[in-house]
Amino acid sequence: MRKSVFTGGLFVAVGIVMAGLGAGTGSFVASAQQKPSTADVKIDNFSFGPAALTAPVGTTVTWTNRDDIPHTVVSTDDPKVFKSKVLDTDEKFSFTFAKAGTYPYFCSIHPKMTGKVIVQ
Amino acid sequence: MHPFDFKEALLAKHAQHVVLIHFPIALFLAGVAFDFLAHWTKRQSLAAAAYFNFLLAALSTIPVVITGILAWQWQLEGQKLKGILLQHLVLGSISSVLIWVAWILHERTRRNKIGILPWARLPIEAIAAAVVALTGHLGGFLSGVNGPG
Repeated sequence: MRKSVFTGGLFVAVGIVMAGLGAGTGSFVASAQQKPSTADVKIDNFSFGPAALTAPVGTTVTWTNRDDIPHTVVSTDDPKVFKSKVLDTDEKFSFTFAKAGTYPYFCSIHPKMTGKVIVQ
Repeated sequence: MHPFDFKEALLAKHAQHVVLIHFPIALFLAGVAFDFLAHWTKRQSLAAAAYFNFLLAALSTIPVVITGILAWQWQLEGQKLKGILLQHLVLGSISSVLIWVAWILHERTRRNKIGILPWARLPIEAIAAAVVALTGHLGGFLSGVNGPG
């Protein structure tokens, strides 16, 4: 009886250790294969939404024109960090932010339309 | 932008096009109205009013075309146009030509001293007015007059 209890306890202990190792390995794999960050900005009704987007370094931001009117996405900085072509309805423009900082931008057809990406 | 900040308004690149475009539109449409009235009432003074409206409308197309092309070059860096922008460019060019044609028809009559304007000018002016209106409609869309703020 004592022997079977001991053996059973041993199996449980080994199981717990293996489960712990497995979980550890799993978390390592998950962090190694972490997907690059993405974010979306919608252009609609002559405005960027969200107007201010905060994202980690390495994030790829995609702007989609949901308006019936053509728009552009142009960096305000000089020299320009990014600049899209004219985006017709449902066209997209993407840019990956590799450095931290604040990146203001605007629509060059409608300069009142402004937005910014804060990369941390 | 402050509405009376002249320097900022002058340096706002394509903003001048949006402002200047109202002159040929208003002058030409008024000229067409005067000319149709002159045709129906046979009043020489109305025909003269139409002539001077067309003259000023034609002259005011010059800065409008220049600022429109500058807007394309500065704001969009001359990239290939498509969609509404291309339609606006094409219709705007046709409008300018038709405004000049309307004025030239009146100018020829004045130079010939016959005093009888060709009947064909009226459909040309009517078509020109429609093209001008369509161009302005697209321009209004592009400028975002219906947008917030």
